[in-house]
Amino acid sequence: MKILVAVKQVAALDEDFQIREDGRDVDPDFFVRDLNEWDDFSLEEAVKIKEASPSPVEVVVVTVGPDEAEEALRKCLAKGADRAVRVWDDAIEGSDPIAIARVVAAIAKHEAPDMLFAGVQSSDQSFASTGIAIAGLLRWPHAAVVSSLTYTPGARSATARRELEGGLLQEIEVQCPAVLTIQLGINTPRYASLRAIKQAAAKPIETRSLADLGLNESHVGEAGSLSRVRRMYIPEKGRAQLIEGDAAAQAGRLAEIIKEFKGEAA
Amino acid sequence: MSGILVIAEQRRGELRPVSLELIGAAQSLKRAADPVTVAILSQAPERFTASLSVAGVDEIVTIKTAAAEFDPDTFEAAVGALVDQRNPDVVLVAHSVDSFGYAAALAERRGLGFATDVFKAEYLDGALVATRGGYGQKVSVEVDFPDRSTVLLALRANVFKPPEQPASPKVTDFAAPAAEARSTGKGFVELGAADDVDMTAAEFILTIGRGIGEESKVAEFRELADAVGATLGCSRPIADAGWLPKSRQVGQSGKTASACKLYVAMGVSGAIQHLAGMKHVSTIVAVNTDAEASIFSVAKYGIVGDIFEIAAELRKHF
Amino acid sequence: MSRTDAVTRILFEAFPTAEVRLFYAIGYAAIAVFLWGAYVQVRKYRRGAALPLGHLGQRLGSMLGAVFGGRTVDRRDHAAGGAHRLIFYGFFFLFLGTSTITLEYDILNPLFGIRFWHGAFYLWFSLVLDIAGVALIAGLLYMMYRRGWLQLPKLDYARPDRAPGDPDFDRPQYRREDWAFLWLLLVIGATGYLLEAARLVWLQGRPDVWDTRWWSPVGAAVAEALAAGGLGAGSAGLLRHGLWWFHGLIALFLIALIPRTKVKHIFTAAASLMVRDPLAAQRLPKVPEAQQHAGVAKITDFTWKQLLNLDACTKCGRCHEACPARAVGAPLSPRDVILSLREFANATLESGKLPDAAELDVHGKSPGQVAQETLWSCRTCMACVEICPVAVEHVPIIVQMRRKLVEDGDMDPLLTKTLQTITKTGNSFGESRRKRGAWSKALPFPVKDARKEPVDVLWFVGDYASFDPRNQKVSQLFAALLNEAGVDFGILYDGESNAGNDIRRVGEEGLYEMLAASNVKALASAKFNRIVTTDPHSFNTIRNEYPDFGGKFEIEHYTTLLKRLFAEGRLAVTAPLKYRTTFHDPCHLGRFNKGYDAPRDLLALLGCELVEMGRCKSNSFCCGAGGGRIWIPDPVGAEKPAQNRIREAAAIPGLEVYVVSCPKDLTMFEDAVKTTGNEGKFVVKELIELVREAIPARGAEAAA
Repeated sequence: MKILVAVKQVAALDEDFQIREDGRDVDPDFFVRDLNEWDDFSLEEAVKIKEASPSPVEVVVVTVGPDEAEEALRKCLAKGADRAVRVWDDAIEGSDPIAIARVVAAIAKHEAPDMLFAGVQSSDQSFASTGIAIAGLLRWPHAAVVSSLTYTPGARSATARRELEGGLLQEIEVQCPAVLTIQLGINTPRYASLRAIKQAAAKPIETRSLADLGLNESHVGEAGSLSRVRRMYIPEKGRAQLIEGDAAAQAGRLAEIIKEFKGEAA
Repeated sequence: MSGILVIAEQRRGELRPVSLELIGAAQSLKRAADPVTVAILSQAPERFTASLSVAGVDEIVTIKTAAAEFDPDTFEAAVGALVDQRNPDVVLVAHSVDSFGYAAALAERRGLGFATDVFKAEYLDGALVATRGGYGQKVSVEVDFPDRSTVLLALRANVFKPPEQPASPKVTDFAAPAAEARSTGKGFVELGAADDVDMTAAEFILTIGRGIGEESKVAEFRELADAVGATLGCSRPIADAGWLPKSRQVGQSGKTASACKLYVAMGVSGAIQHLAGMKHVSTIVAVNTDAEASIFSVAKYGIVGDIFEIAAELRKHF
Repeated sequence: MSRTDAVTRILFEAFPTAEVRLFYAIGYAAIAVFLWGAYVQVRKYRRGAALPLGHLGQRLGSMLGAVFGGRTVDRRDHAAGGAHRLIFYGFFFLFLGTSTITLEYDILNPLFGIRFWHGAFYLWFSLVLDIAGVALIAGLLYMMYRRGWLQLPKLDYARPDRAPGDPDFDRPQYRREDWAFLWLLLVIGATGYLLEAARLVWLQGRPDVWDTRWWSPVGAAVAEALAAGGLGAGSAGLLRHGLWWFHGLIALFLIALIPRTKVKHIFTAAASLMVRDPLAAQRLPKVPEAQQHAGVAKITDFTWKQLLNLDACTKCGRCHEACPARAVGAPLSPRDVILSLREFANATLESGKLPDAAELDVHGKSPGQVAQETLWSCRTCMACVEICPVAVEHVPIIVQMRRKLVEDGDMDPLLTKTLQTITKTGNSFGESRRKRGAWSKALPFPVKDARKEPVDVLWFVGDYASFDPRNQKVSQLFAALLNEAGVDFGILYDGESNAGNDIRRVGEEGLYEMLAASNVKALASAKFNRIVTTDPHSFNTIRNEYPDFGGKFEIEHYTTLLKRLFAEGRLAVTAPLKYRTTFHDPCHLGRFNKGYDAPRDLLALLGCELVEMGRCKSNSFCCGAGGGRIWIPDPVGAEKPAQNRIREAAAIPGLEVYVVSCPKDLTMFEDAVKTTGNEGKFVVKELIELVREAIPARGAEAAA
C-alpha cells in the first residue's frame, strides 16, 4: 500500500522585503522558507494511517522545487515519510499550480499510490488549486477541504468530513484511489526534532527530471500554465486610526467606544 | 457567444450570498454588449430563479442535478458542458469550498485561463487582468492569461457589491450530460452544537487570537467579554487548539459576524480567512503588539500594545 | 615484660575451639554475602552506558576532602551535619579499631609473628574507641530525635508526583529502613559498652584488665555500675559470653546487609563524590555523533556513573526542599526522581539476566518510572545539584530524559511551536532576524557591527534583551553607559542567534547544536578581545558549553564589566541612590557561575542598602523561567515560582527596589509583582537601570 503526499516549501516574507527588479516577484533574499503548514497536516495524516495499519504502508512525499526545497522533504522524512522525491528543471520556473499539478500527476502515475494527499492550499500563494488539478489530470475521484478522515489503506472507499463555510461539515464517501486536500486541524502534527531532521539527511532524496516523467518544457513554466504573473506590487494598505497614549489611555478610549456603542444599542 | 458566465452557488436550499456578489462583479467587468449569464445547479434549480433575477443578469440557466448538494463530478461535467456550449470570455465562480472541489480540474481539462482568490478583475488594453494576493497577502499579484479565449476566475467573497435592483432575465434550461458521481454526500454536521452561542446574531463581539499565547489566559478574556457585554469569539488557531469551541470561531471556515456592529479583535493578526468573517463590520477595533499586523488594514481603530495590559486596563472601566 | 606490656584486648578468651570456628564460619559467610551483594551492585552499574573518567588522583583527593571534612552534609543544616560527623567519625574509628584486631590476629601474627596490639598502643586504642562510641551514640540519638520529633518537611516521603493511595505515594518501607538503620547502629554501640563492662567485671581479678579499666572510661563506668548493682564475676562471664555473640552477630549482619540497604551509602556516596562533575548542570553532556537516539529511554541508557548516583542518595531531602517546582506544588521532587529511578534500576538490573528492552523503559507512570509532567516541571535551576551532599547530578538526568521526550514530540504545544519558531528565525519571539539589532536604532550614536569592524568588547545581547520591548529599554541604557565610558564595543546584529542555553535544557539537543554552531561561527569570524553579555543564560552556555563546540572565548557578565569601569574611573556615581534594595541572584549567574559578588559590589557603589532575602546566593530561588519553562504555560491557579519569590521579598520591611540582573527575571518578576498585589509597594529594576539612575547628568544627554 502506498500514500503519496504532495508537499511544498513555502516562503514567508521577511521584514522590509523588496520586489525583484523585473517587478514580477519578491527578491528571494527576503524569503523565509518552511514546509507549508497545510502539508504538515496532510503528511501527519498519512503517517498516522501508516502507523495504524496492520499491513505495510509506504508514505512517499513529493515536491516540485529547486535544491533548497529538500529541506522541506527532510522534515517530512524526519516525521515518518519513507521516501522523498523531488522534481526540478529550470523550465519549471514560472509555473502556475496547474503546471505544478501536471508534474505531480506524472509522479503519481509512476508511483501508483492508493491515495494521494495534498494541502488545501499553500500559505504563501493560497491558490487552493494544485490538489484538485492533480485529481483532474489523473481522472481520480477527489474531495476538497477534508477535516476528518476514516480510511483503511487498500479500501475501495473512504469516509471524510469536508469543512464548508460557516462552521458546517459535510460527510461524504469517496471512491479510492482518490485525491484529498487536507485542512488544518485534522490532526496534531508531530514535532520533528532537529536531530531527526539531521539524520534524515542521510536518507536519499530521489530526484527526477522532466524527461524521466515523460514531460517536456511545453508542459511546464509559462507555456504549461493557465495564467502568467504580470506584475507584483506592495499594496497601499487601508490603515486604522491609531489610538495613542499609554495602556490606560488606550483602554480608556476603547471603553468610550464600547460605551458609545452600547448607548446606541440601548 | 462571448460574455460572462456566472456559476451561482446554493447549499441546503439557500442561495449563497456570494452568488449575487459574482453578478455584481460581472456587471462591473463586462464590456458593452457582453451578456451576463447565471447558471444554477440544483435538484430544483427553478427555486432560485427569482432570487437571481437581479439587475445585470441577461439570462438564467437552470441545470437540474440528481443530487441535492454539491458533488464535484456533477459540477465539473455540467459546468464544463455549459462552457463548451456557450464559449464565454469569462467564467466567474466563488472562491469557495465548492469551487475548490472542481474549478482547477475543469480549467485544466479545458485549457481555460485560471486564477483563484481574485479580488479585482479588469480589462487593461483589451486583456483581462486579475489581481490576487501573494505571500500571505503581503503583496498584490496581477496575472493575465495570454492566448486563452475563456478565463475561469474564482472570486473572493465579501469583496464585490451585489446588485440590488430586480430584473427579469430570460430563463433557459440546460440538460447537463450524465456524470458518474464518485463521491456521495452523507449529510451535514453543524459544528459546536454543544455551545449555544450564535456568533452570527451577536452585535458586539470580542475576539481573541493567537496573541493570547496560552490556554490559561482564555478565562481572563471570557470574564472581560462578559463584563463589557460582548460575545466572546476567536480566530482559527484558538478553536483548533480546543481552547474555545469551534462555534465561536469567526472566519471563512467558522462563523460570519453577520449582525455585528462592534468588533474588538485582541491578538488577532488578521489572516485572510479570519477577515472574511468580520471585515464588513462597521466598527472594528484591533489590539495587537505588531503594528504591521494585517488586522489594522481593516480596522477603524487600532491600538498597538500589549493585549493583556489593555485588557486589564479596560476591565477597570466596567 | 612490664605490666602494661601484658595489657591486651581480650578476644576469644574462654571460648571453646568449636565456638571460635563457628564464629569464623559465620564471619566468612557474612563477608561472602557482602561480596556477592557488592558484585551484584557493581554488575548493575556496569549495565549502564560507558563513560570514560580521568584525573583519578585528583578525584580521590577531593572525595576524601569531602568525606572527611563533612562540609557537604553540613551545608544549610548544621545540626544534621554535626550529628553526621559524630556518627561518621565514631563509626570510622570503631571500624578502624576493629579492623586492626583482624589485622593482627588473623594476618600479621599468624603469618609473620608480628604483634602490636598490647601495652600503650592498646590503652590509647581503648580510650579512642570508647570516645568514638560516645560520638556514635550521641550522633545517633540526635538523628533519632530529628526524625522522631522535629518532623522536618524534607524528611516527609510523601511525593508531589503521586497521589495518596498510589502504591509508591509515601514509601513507608523507607521510614522503616531509616529507623532500622539507626536502631541497628545504636544497638551495636550500646552492646559494645555492655560487653566491655561485662568483660571488666568478669575479669576484675586480673590486674592487667581491671587496673587499666579507666582507659575505657565508659565501659569502666558501666562496669562499676554493674558491680555496684551486684553483678558477680561468674554471672558477668556468662553475660559477656552472650553479649559477645549478640554484638558480633549483629555487626556481621550489618556487614552482610551493606550492599542492599542504605548502609551502602558509605561506599556509594564516597564513589559518587569521587566521580562528581563540577559542571554537571552548567555543561550538559554532548550526544555522540554516532548515537542513534538522543537522550535516555531505557534505564541502561544512563551511564554507570548516573546509576551510581542513584544509589548514593540518602534521602536527606535537601534537593526536595530547594526545588522551586516542588515549592509551588508542581509534580516534581528531584529526590523522588532519583529514588524512582533507583527503585527501577534495582528491580530491573540486579537480576542475573537483563530483562527485555520493553521492561527497561523509564518513562511512564508505573512505580519506578518518571512521568512526563514531572520532567517538564523542572526549571534546571541547579538548586538540587548544588545542595546535594553526595554529588547526585539531577539536572543532566532530567535533561537526558527530556531529550527522549523531545524526540518523540511529547511536550507542550506552545513549546513545540517555540522550538519551530527558533528553528526558523533563530529567536524565540518569531521576529525577523533582520530586526535583531533594531533596538539600537533609537540610540543617538551608532552601535558598531562587530562583523564588519574589530571591537574591543563584543556584546552578546541575547533574545530577550534584543526583542522584548521592556528589556530593549535596558539594552539601550547599557549601550549608552558603555558609550559614555568610552568602551569600544559592537554587536553581531543578525549574525547573532539565540544562544541556545535554554533550548539545550529543554532537551532539543539538535537545535542547540545548530544554534551553537551558528553562533560560534559568527563569533569566530568577528574580531574582538572579549565578550560581555547582559544575559546570564547566554553567559553560561557560551562560557561553559561553547568550548565543546569549538568556541573558546573570554566572556563576562555585564556586572563585572561595569564594576571594572567604576574601578577604573570610567564611570562615576554622581547621584548616589539611597534605595533599600534586595538582590535576586539569577540562577545562571549565581549558582551556575558563582557571580555573587559583582552585583552586590555595584549596589554598594551606587549607595543602595542591600537587604538579603533568606534564600540568596547559592540558595537563590529560581524565577521559574529556566529550562524552557518560560515557553511552557504554568497551570492555571497554581502559585508560580516568581510569585513565591516576590512574596519572600515583600516580607522585607520598607523594601523599595527588587533588583535583578537578568532579562528573563525582569519579565517574570514584574509580572509577579502585579499578580501578587505588590504593585505600588516596591518595583523591579534591572541593575543597569539603577546604574543609569546614579549617573543622571550624562544620562539625560544620552536619552535626548
